[in-house]
Amino acid sequence: MSASSLLSVFLDNPAVILTVGALMCVATPRHLAGVIMLVVTAISAAKLYSLGLGNYGVFELFGEEITTIRIDPLSRVFAVVFHIAIALNVIYAWGQKDRAQNFATLAYPAAALGGVLAGDFITLFIWWEMAAITSVFLVWAPGTRATYVSGMRYLAIQVLSGVLLLAGVVLFYRETGSFAFDAIGLRDGDGAIKLAALVIFLAFGIKSAFPLLHNWVQDAYPKSTISGTIILSVFTTKLAVYALARGFAGTPELIYIGAVMTIFPIFFALIENDLRKVLTYSINNQVGFMIVGIGIGTAASLNGAVGYAFSNIIFESLLFMAVGAAMFRTGTSKATELGGLYRTMPLTLTFCIIGALSISAFPGFAGFVTKGLIVDGAAGFNIWIWLTLLFASAGVLEHAGIKIPYFTFFAHDSGKRPKEAPVPMLIAMGVAAILSIGIGVHPEPLYALLPDQEQIAGYHPYSAYHIIEQLQLLLWAILAFAVLILIKWYPAEVPSTNLDTDWFYRVPGRAFVTWAVGAARVIWVALWGIFSGRLHALMTRIYTMHGPEGQLARNWPIGFMALWTAVLLGFVLVLSFLA
Amino acid sequence: MSDHDQNHGKPDDGGWADNPIFIRAFLGLLIISCIAAAAAGLNAAWHNPHPHFAIEGVPAFFAIYGFGAFVFIVLVGQHLRKLVGRKEEYYDERE
Repeated sequence: MSASSLLSVFLDNPAVILTVGALMCVATPRHLAGVIMLVVTAISAAKLYSLGLGNYGVFELFGEEITTIRIDPLSRVFAVVFHIAIALNVIYAWGQKDRAQNFATLAYPAAALGGVLAGDFITLFIWWEMAAITSVFLVWAPGTRATYVSGMRYLAIQVLSGVLLLAGVVLFYRETGSFAFDAIGLRDGDGAIKLAALVIFLAFGIKSAFPLLHNWVQDAYPKSTISGTIILSVFTTKLAVYALARGFAGTPELIYIGAVMTIFPIFFALIENDLRKVLTYSINNQVGFMIVGIGIGTAASLNGAVGYAFSNIIFESLLFMAVGAAMFRTGTSKATELGGLYRTMPLTLTFCIIGALSISAFPGFAGFVTKGLIVDGAAGFNIWIWLTLLFASAGVLEHAGIKIPYFTFFAHDSGKRPKEAPVPMLIAMGVAAILSIGIGVHPEPLYALLPDQEQIAGYHPYSAYHIIEQLQLLLWAILAFAVLILIKWYPAEVPSTNLDTDWFYRVPGRAFVTWAVGAARVIWVALWGIFSGRLHALMTRIYTMHGPEGQLARNWPIGFMALWTAVLLGFVLVLSFLA
Repeated sequence: MSDHDQNHGKPDDGGWADNPIFIRAFLGLLIISCIAAAAAGLNAAWHNPHPHFAIEGVPAFFAIYGFGAFVFIVLVGQHLRKLVGRKEEYYDERE
């Protein structure tokens, strides 16, 4: 392959364009960073559009075909919404001077985009690891010891996912002789679990934050800067959702995993005081809905999962942005320290409520037009999964639909009277809010992007029964909230740290590692003592024999040697006579 | 990236959301909406034409389920705090 064609392979790739833009941000004056990022995002989006559906950047490497860009209906949905999310984040953080964050603001989404566009496992692995490495700069951005330690934990877990992916890919290649990244499936024709598939499944599971593998999200994301948390909230988990949709659509295990994901974060979010952390639990819960849709694997539920991922990226970002704006003005995102901000931040409040209505899937908002596909799919699977998703929908309303706006802008009056959010933040939130309503009212452009056009053409979200069922569920859940508040049974927020699975590696795990390091040192010292003692004794003996004073180094008199020579010669003479 | 620009006002200095008239109007509207949504469920013509389960045909099933789920989450979920709640500095003291 010639150098020029290799160069064109790279420069055709929107992810590479964004990465080059990220490097430009490091090399150019800081005040130009916002403009550069926005222009580069626009160029990348234009490149994506001009390429259209198809495979690009295909070349042979050691006899294997590498497809660096695969734009098909599945990858296109994610690629499009990733560009929207990047643009919103750049606008939101307009004027950000920190070079490391500016770099990561483009380089990390670039890596996630590269992963989404990857047509083979080698390309996927490279971008998978790039996403881990570039995103950790956002966790480290505040520059405190807590964020450093958290960033290291985050990096270790993300790299573990990458290592598992690599191991899985090697096993997969041994089994199939191919690096093509298509449907894998967890089981073979006999129903037995395939080892390679299981390892890849786990790698995807870590990044999509399966239950018990989820806590890196809550550990790392809320410790980042205001804009950093928003960027982090979008890409890693959605790249993993894409990867599961590509590789494991129709895997029943995902239905149960996803159902658990929709439920348990609700309870942790209920008792969590840090509203940004509440939203990280919301990420787990929302990804759970997508994973259920992927697991069901019908055309409708896959359309639902992918469409819901698209909408979720916008309204979840909007909620993070609203809480971030309150934090920007007040210095805190804790429910106990916020409240009453509606008086002076009415626009932020309005945008936040639009995000809340969208995530709760109220008719007329973005969540409603795609979530129904997943819930209907669950009903087709079994009643328990269906009831679980309905229960989880009430939970979403509780922690994301009500708790976030209520404790930020209403609840008890904190006495804080901050200014309205800065104009760039308002613009970003305003665009996200318009998109949330726009998708809800007029979902056709989103539907046009979904993978199965035949299925979606026959889907009408605004049927009477769908609207009535959803309104009953949500309105009566709000009524429950009002009743609990009026009778003072709704629990007050309490400043606290709530233990989750990260406790295992942060406390006993850490203690075990500390103990293991100490024990290893003691054993090493003891072994070295034994070894060096023996060595010393041996050297002493050698010295005794061969040293200057040793027996073997003694000088012998010449007469003594002559006597023994004569004896030896006499012995030889006697022998020769006898012979 | 932060700007702790806060002017402290007097607590409860008469914002619109703290006005009893607003609160009453909001609650009234909510109750009317809830009743309307439940009542709409009584009309069989507006039921799912292809229900998966018989329970979908129960009038106001979704209203009862939504209410019950919310109450359950709040009343049961808060006890999780007893199991996993620790003081704020818990990890600061250990890392």
